[in-house]
Amino acid sequence: MSAEESAPARTAIGIGFGNSYSSIAYTTGDGKAEVIANEEGDRQIPSILSYIEGEEFQGTQAKAQLIRNPKNTVAYFRDFLGKDFKSIDPSPCHASAHPVEHSSGIAFSIRDTEAESENTVTVSEITTRHLKRLKTSASDFLGKEVNAAVITVPTDYSVAQKEGLKASAKGAGIEVLQFIHEPVSAVLAYDARPDAKLSDKIILVADLGGTRSDVAVVASRGGMYSILATAHDYDLGGAKLDKVLIDHFAKEFIKKHKTDPRKNERSLAKLKLESEATRKALSLGATASFSVESLADGIDFTATINRTRFELLANKVFGSFIRLIEGAVQKAELDVLDIDEIILTGGTSHTPKIASNLQTHFPQSTAILAPATSVTAINPSELSARGAAIQASLIAEYDTEDIEQSTHPMVTVTPHISKAIGVLCISDDEQKGIFKKLVEAETAVPARRTAHFAVPREGGDVIVKICEGVREIKVSKPEPKPKTNGKPEGEDDVDDDEDDEDEDDEDEEDEIREKVWKAGKVLAETAVKGVKKGGKVEVQVNVGGDLAVQLIVREVGGKGGVRGNIGKPTTVENGSA
Amino acid sequence: PILPEGWSAEKDFKAVGPLSPPTQRNIEPVGPHFLAHARRKRHKRTFSEDERI
Repeated sequence: MSAEESAPARTAIGIGFGNSYSSIAYTTGDGKAEVIANEEGDRQIPSILSYIEGEEFQGTQAKAQLIRNPKNTVAYFRDFLGKDFKSIDPSPCHASAHPVEHSSGIAFSIRDTEAESENTVTVSEITTRHLKRLKTSASDFLGKEVNAAVITVPTDYSVAQKEGLKASAKGAGIEVLQFIHEPVSAVLAYDARPDAKLSDKIILVADLGGTRSDVAVVASRGGMYSILATAHDYDLGGAKLDKVLIDHFAKEFIKKHKTDPRKNERSLAKLKLESEATRKALSLGATASFSVESLADGIDFTATINRTRFELLANKVFGSFIRLIEGAVQKAELDVLDIDEIILTGGTSHTPKIASNLQTHFPQSTAILAPATSVTAINPSELSARGAAIQASLIAEYDTEDIEQSTHPMVTVTPHISKAIGVLCISDDEQKGIFKKLVEAETAVPARRTAHFAVPREGGDVIVKICEGVREIKVSKPEPKPKTNGKPEGEDDVDDDEDDEDEDDEDEEDEIREKVWKAGKVLAETAVKGVKKGGKVEVQVNVGGDLAVQLIVREVGGKGGVRGNIGKPTTVENGSA
Repeated sequence: PILPEGWSAEKDFKAVGPLSPPTQRNIEPVGPHFLAHARRKRHKRTFSEDERI
């Protein structure tokens, strides 16, 4: 088997494997990731399998079977892989085949052959069949056999779940090169764009799915990502929004016809399917129609709804999304002001109101990458598959052993500096000076950063103070002045530093919260003599793997410069992750 | 900042103190920059050594 793995003919794709939808992506010759549509033309392929008289249906066709054939239709099974029966929440499967306990974990009782009797099919076998179909779709599209993949998993996926998924993939003839976390995959999908600029920033990734939502706070430092905190909600997602529409239309129906379509399983299934379609339409247009043939008691039902109405009805659910996201920020011990970018991923991220709510909760400086708020945003449904495809193309050439060694904790567990390192400017008093960041906090070592600093106008001899910086949130009352609509005008505050941000949490509150940097412990002082008028000083900080710091300070264009070393901290063995 | 009068140090450099203790965290093993990092770490190379190759 190892001989087979080392064979160079590997065709790798990226698979975004979800509870509700899966998608597949590949990278073109020039390194661009493209999502593959299956033979039905779907890029988001429902993770559903259905059987009618021994014939297997998947994707959209299987989803339609939730109405006529729910008992032999399997859906929402990803999170059951590698789990114990007692630990799962089977509620999403209420309307389809129910999970049952099995010696190897979880199984479904379905009629998947022409025989009249039911077969017990394990969740791992279901996954294998699903992955096989995805593989076939990708192979047909690419014109060659796909035999390897990078698969995305949630950040809380256990080792047992990964092992289970790996085994299922193997059954489908797919070698799993690596499992990558969904939020990181989304970040990679953005960073791999040719026009993307790498910078040090804190990114919040909100993965809003069908039946669950996951939020992760990621520190992106020089293209390397460290997850600072995660938050999960296993009950919040698009299905909650569908429920709002289901209830709304059911009430309308009751008003007219005196029967509740939610009481009948088949009617409810129809309601559910059409509500999801209506919700998707409302993400794109301002109004959407809802129509079901023979909804209940043989009566057809047609209605329309506009976006404003829907947003009003779903206000509570939107609030839960915001709370989940803000909870993750708190968990990371950060402030909303610290978040530079929000990436919305997952199908529910198409909802415009979620993005616009985030805009009011986060400062203006925070970029919100969602179709409703950014023209350059990538389709949120495609992000994880794209990221996986990029990672697959990067490591497809590697030996399996190489990949395993590289992803080993020996490599991934790394000290991250706990405080920002920067240069104290303007004043030589550490209480008063303005701190300019050079290396951000939470940067993995070893790291190297270089920056240029202007010296006083008259030039001469200068001192460069390297110190640690602490971020503080300054809350101040603005001076009473005529305001337009309660929001402080951007041009009113003196913006001499790009880190200066103002934000109003709530329009009623008349205080401005801003991020200020305080210089902390001084690490080193250096002198650069005889700097020209209007010259600049280049400072390079090199933090070693052992946290020893090497400094190079010189005048731009000048020769020599000052080099120096700061020893490593004495208490190296501490640091609780 | 202007060099204060009478400031001097050997070779114009004075180390004052080491960094604050770091926190141990996991880097996500994803992306081209991580792969470069892993390569450096496994071969115990420094940045400049890596650039030369």
